[in-house]
Amino acid sequence: MGKRSGRLTNEVRALRSGQGGMTQQDLADRVGVTRQTINAIEGNKYSPSLEVAFRIARVFSVPLERIFGYDEN
Amino acid sequence: MGLSFREKSLWLMLASLLGVFGFYFAVVLPPEAPNVMPEQVAVFALAVVMLVVVQIVGHVAIAIVDRRTDTDERDRLITLKGARNSGFVLATGAFLALCAALATEGNFVFMHVLLAFWVLAEIVQIGSQLIMYRRGA
Repeated sequence: MGKRSGRLTNEVRALRSGQGGMTQQDLADRVGVTRQTINAIEGNKYSPSLEVAFRIARVFSVPLERIFGYDEN
Repeated sequence: MGLSFREKSLWLMLASLLGVFGFYFAVVLPPEAPNVMPEQVAVFALAVVMLVVVQIVGHVAIAIVDRRTDTDERDRLITLKGARNSGFVLATGAFLALCAALATEGNFVFMHVLLAFWVLAEIVQIGSQLIMYRRGA
């Protein structure tokens, strides 16, 4: 199976901004990861595990696919 | 983006490793005899003690300043990938050390090829982790 070049995209930063200025540290504390990991996710430098992705979705009370997408290109 | 506790810890380990083993190799090289001499063993022991002390004191200082010493799945993934990278270097070093043991007289070259590759493997492990923290895992 060949390696694909797609990447995970996300709306975490936009959703966080829409929550009355929730900080990366606030979100990190609620999800149970470090602030640097939230920063890496927002910058598309790290694809979180499904578990963390679901926890992020639960914080914002939205479905997973509202936050994460997959860019084939 | 500020450095996490883990990144600060890695920079400390890298700096202490380079400093301590830079000192050690500067003292023992070039070899004066085919075998490792007792004074060189003493220098090695001193280097190890220095490394341990610097790392303990440094980590305590970082922990006092940083407060947040927690790690998560990203830290664990980066640690695993770093260990994988260093494993290749260490395996190469072990093979070359065996070749050196067969090709040279005494134990000095064997010991120091092995030690140099262990240090190099640690540097690769730490360096690759620092790169992954900046560029993504």
